[in-house]
Amino acid sequence: MLKTEELQINIGPQHPSTHGVFRLMATVDGETVVHLEPVFGYLHRNHEQLGEIWTYLQTITITDRLDYFNSMINEHGYCMTVEKLASIEVPERAEYIRVIMSELSRILNHAAAIGFWLQDMGSWGTTLMFGFRQREMIMDIFESVGGSRMMCNYMRFGGVARDLTPNLVEQINLFLEGFPQFIDDFERLMMENEILLARSRNVGVLPKELAAAYSVTGPVIRGSGIPYDIRRAEPYSIYDRFAFDIPVGSVGDVYDRFLVRMEEMRQSHRILRQAMEQLPQASGSYINQAYKAASKQQGLRLPAGEAYCRVESPKGELGYYIVSNGGNSAYRYGIRAPSLINLTALNDMCRGYTVADIVVILGSIDIVMGEVDR
Amino acid sequence: MTATPEQTTATQTALQPVGGGGVVVVERKQPGQSYGQGIAKGMAVVIRHFAKSFTSRIDDKSDQAGMFTVEYPEERMELPEAYRNMPVLLYDDKTGQELCTSCFQCERICPPKVIHITQAKDPNTGKAVPAAEEFIIEYDSCMSCGLCHEICPFDAIKMDHFYELSTHDHLAMDQNKAALDRPISYYQAIAPNLWAAVEANAMKKLQNNVKRRPGNIGVAPHMIGKTQKALPTAAAAGAGAAAAARPKTPVAAIGKNMSPEKVARLEAIRAAKRGGATMPGESEIVAPSPVASGESGLHVAESQAGLAPSPATTPAPATGPVAAVGQSMSDEKKARLEAIRAAKRAQGGGQ
Amino acid sequence: MPLLNQGELRALLERELPGALDPTRPVNRYGNVEATHQLEVEDQASDTMGDTSPPPATGDAAAERQADVVDKEEPSVPPLSQDDAVVRAERLPDVAAFLRDRLGYDYLSRVTAVDYPAYGLIEVVYHFYRIEGGPGQIVRVRVPRDNAVIPSITPMWPGANLEERVCYDLFGVHFPGHPYHKRIYMWDEFEGHPMRKDFEKIGDSYYHFKWKGEGGEE
Repeated sequence: MLKTEELQINIGPQHPSTHGVFRLMATVDGETVVHLEPVFGYLHRNHEQLGEIWTYLQTITITDRLDYFNSMINEHGYCMTVEKLASIEVPERAEYIRVIMSELSRILNHAAAIGFWLQDMGSWGTTLMFGFRQREMIMDIFESVGGSRMMCNYMRFGGVARDLTPNLVEQINLFLEGFPQFIDDFERLMMENEILLARSRNVGVLPKELAAAYSVTGPVIRGSGIPYDIRRAEPYSIYDRFAFDIPVGSVGDVYDRFLVRMEEMRQSHRILRQAMEQLPQASGSYINQAYKAASKQQGLRLPAGEAYCRVESPKGELGYYIVSNGGNSAYRYGIRAPSLINLTALNDMCRGYTVADIVVILGSIDIVMGEVDR
Repeated sequence: MTATPEQTTATQTALQPVGGGGVVVVERKQPGQSYGQGIAKGMAVVIRHFAKSFTSRIDDKSDQAGMFTVEYPEERMELPEAYRNMPVLLYDDKTGQELCTSCFQCERICPPKVIHITQAKDPNTGKAVPAAEEFIIEYDSCMSCGLCHEICPFDAIKMDHFYELSTHDHLAMDQNKAALDRPISYYQAIAPNLWAAVEANAMKKLQNNVKRRPGNIGVAPHMIGKTQKALPTAAAAGAGAAAAARPKTPVAAIGKNMSPEKVARLEAIRAAKRGGATMPGESEIVAPSPVASGESGLHVAESQAGLAPSPATTPAPATGPVAAVGQSMSDEKKARLEAIRAAKRAQGGGQ
Repeated sequence: MPLLNQGELRALLERELPGALDPTRPVNRYGNVEATHQLEVEDQASDTMGDTSPPPATGDAAAERQADVVDKEEPSVPPLSQDDAVVRAERLPDVAAFLRDRLGYDYLSRVTAVDYPAYGLIEVVYHFYRIEGGPGQIVRVRVPRDNAVIPSITPMWPGANLEERVCYDLFGVHFPGHPYHKRIYMWDEFEGHPMRKDFEKIGDSYYHFKWKGEGGEE
């Protein structure tokens, strides 16, 4: 047999398919990937140290910049951690608002992630715009409630910054009304597309055992058939009140991850429906009255100790680790970034597939560089 | 825990954990029998949406097909009240007194540390006065987090809705107090409910602070002299007119505080650029030229909205920063939309 | 498998893996062993609150009391956790394997480091969970700052790969046995480890604005 020589090629850092400034060093044998080494750090800004310099309240504003697609969930996890450490009670209504925002955020993220993934696959524009339109509608809601479309800065310790007005409730209900139509359209648009099936079925397979060992989370581990979802595994906030299913895949390939994301959007919609129904009965205010004033939040000093809290971000398990020395800023502020850990498995997923598959597999992991590089 | 009475008395029984739900294995589609079926299905969706985009417009959040885009800059999205872009300072329309007392709360909370305040001092006694001598915000490194506006105990710093801030000059983004000052009526126009919620408190605090401000200290720079000499009623009208004549745009306001030669240079540049996509600057507002292409779009949008066509004759606060899409809808269209919505809701309930 | 609390895990490790737990008490910055620091904290607590329970975190009075506690000791260093299983660095792979294979903690959520210059320590914290759910286990390894070496668990637990690299890059903890032991965020030529507390911070704040007379624009 003819002996071929391995070649090393760089994909990125300035490559449209790497979802940011991210570099992949691929060793290829012909068209087949032999080894893949991701190179990080192009967007590194030592976010964790910033969290040690800024006060707890100020740090909320930079959690938005971690995974800038779903700032609401980032804030939720961070506020939960601080609340755990300071034992701040969150009123029921605030919990409902948080869950509503988190689930909207999940829909937003998945709609955009699938759009980007399809764009990576060559379905230029159309499908991305389908997802983006839905994202836009959710961002309008975020803008009305938080003031900004992406950097919401909405959650506070002990609740949220503003209450949901009746007008906004109406707006969210309208969105939920139209959502089934969207997801049906979105599904019909691509689900059975032969090109998509050809490019995603049995590509980038991550077996069940490997997925657990690699600590991957989110749609990646669920696509591999493990129903690991923190909303179920260690319910936080009020997720134990809602009925929802955890979608899992059967093969663990790229197609499964796509299907899992689709189904997760439906399940988020289901949670949202229940949450919106129960919201009027929820007791309490939108924020713990003792912490309503911003000056109270700014001067917040946490008792010395540490806390680790995990939330289910659309990308996977998002964890915040805070060590407090009793001051008003963290002694250590650490983040378990799902996008980063999910990339651990990239090499194994890509090995043996072609160079063209790399972008499809990378797109199916759904990374955001703001979170990977922190 | 300081719980309100409702909080404690509300029954928890209404919300029992339902929880539950299982694990579903997603159904994998097989490639269709005849090649191209799936693509055809997808194309059908695309064509339906494409056709619909010519006939209808998405005004309703529950609509899925139809025209969705907004043709900026001719049309603009309606901004929600809570929208925040850059912080500005408020002053009272009638007296020109600024609400800021230089308590340094915003300077302290600002995460990127872009707010710089110096406190005013009484020239006779040398004592600190509850007013800001100078107030500078570096707009270029402001992260628009809104914490300053949240913490301000005097409701003096608020988030503006103006977003067309792009410039090639970084240093010009440092805004001083004169450039940051906005009348309360302006903020009231962009965020009526938010202001209504804090108005009584803010004005009460202002009254208390004004007593401790000697002379013109704490009066917005361009208001000095305009309010003191006139009669109280006339002063109010004058203030309104002054507010109207004031440039809406902070970029234009930069020009106001620059040295005369720099202003002249800027004017020259602007004049050269006019006809291109220039920013609606000070000069255009003072002497509106409807033919300038950069301006005409705005005029179209405003006349659609049924507002006065010239921004120079209309007080800035009354028009609001933009003519909103929602506002451009006629009443019968709104009624029709309501009917459609109601029908949809009934349909949804029936299913 | 039963859920273990921290004490039970320690007892179990002591029984099943003799010598795995770290018996040494870290020395604090006063040259005393850690236990005295613990007492000190308790003293403060009894001064201000009259009992040893953590202060309530709500209300004005509580905030003031907390502020008092903090102001007494400046800069304060969080006390090291005494409850969790602290493991000798060289036995960490055994403990990790024990947790995974015998106790069923089959999911490694996080590997992170905390720098305690006051104690001369770097603490590396491992959070283990179960895929089925439930609370997790924390395993800590305390290594001296100037010789921070912990055997890598990446060969047996590939999920630790990137987290260990982050700990190496930002904290300077070495993980012999790691398959790709290189800096992850900083460039290879970079000197120092930026998340260490004594790393010189330059450029904490950015602004170009200068007051009059300082050579600024105005």
